Amino acid sequence: MIRRTFDRDLLRRRRARRNPPPDPSFRDELAARLVDRLVDLRRRFTTVLELAAADDAVDRARAAAGLPPFALHLRADTAPPRLGRPAPALVLDPERLPFPDGRFDLVLAAGGLHWIDDLPRALAEIRRVLARDGLLLALFPGGASLIELRTCLVEAELELLGGAALRVFPTLDPRDGAALLQRAGFASPVVDVERVDLAYRDPARLLFDLRAAGESAAFAPELRRPLRRAVLARALELYRTRFVRPDGTHPVTVELVLLAGFGGPAAAPTVQEPSSPA
Amino acid sequence: MAEREGEVGVDPRLLELLVCPLTKGPLRWDRAKNELVSEQAGLAYPIRDGIPIMLVEEARPLGEGEAVPEELRR
Repeated sequence: MIRRTFDRDLLRRRRARRNPPPDPSFRDELAARLVDRLVDLRRRFTTVLELAAADDAVDRARAAAGLPPFALHLRADTAPPRLGRPAPALVLDPERLPFPDGRFDLVLAAGGLHWIDDLPRALAEIRRVLARDGLLLALFPGGASLIELRTCLVEAELELLGGAALRVFPTLDPRDGAALLQRAGFASPVVDVERVDLAYRDPARLLFDLRAAGESAAFAPELRRPLRRAVLARALELYRTRFVRPDGTHPVTVELVLLAGFGGPAAAPTVQEPSSPA
Repeated sequence: MAEREGEVGVDPRLLELLVCPLTKGPLRWDRAKNELVSEQAGLAYPIRDGIPIMLVEEARPLGEGEAVPEELRR
């Protein structure tokens, strides 16, 4: 049994409650970057599983890129997806995918997989449900993401409390990403890093957007420490004074780590449930 | 065979694709209860608003005798 780092119930409740929905421009940006890779491939995908499918941003990006609709596009999330129109959708646990082997020719995730406790296992599951020439394309936040906010939070906590806690969502190191893909048995694994530079008028708005996106920290109770109001106020004050541009906006760095790989030959390391029959 | 007219149930393409997340074994759609039953796992996965909830934590453990396939119970 893996030790849980995250509070799954809390995460699920939050993903279910997201209201208002995540800042659409940012979701669209992620989806567009993912779809760009598909356009480059010039291949027609028919059976597609989208994980962490919070909305129909991927579908909008696909249409905007001039790609034809996928014959089957399943949207899956850990809470019921909020979709604009009826579409085949389901709730699942990425560590235990409810599909037979080799059924998809594309698995997509425009972010959202970084809260998985057992990522090696989720990747092995994705690899299992991909056809031999099936492709995984998934975006993760990299370590430079929200560096400004994190710096200010740590400094404010050290200043006021003398210690710092886990505050911001987990990130993926590109080297770890490559190792994870290899370990899960993906063929021709590729990892690359992109930076997206956002600008916010008010850093408090960033916190609002993070909450709205269901991205507030959701660590397991034993790792959790409540964020005091005074600490938050001090962190925002630091952000406003230290990271201000001449035009009055505040930079927000987002680093995206793209994981890509093919299903490869069928002799994959399969995920075994302790209770499953041989 | 089940008739699907007038059903506000699950997308049939989904039903064809899904297996039990725990055992990867087959699922049986219980129309009356609107659940996907995994006899191997002894679990019934709920369907809410046409969306199958394929989480072991949310599944209902099957009671005594419930794991027997429908056609054998008659």
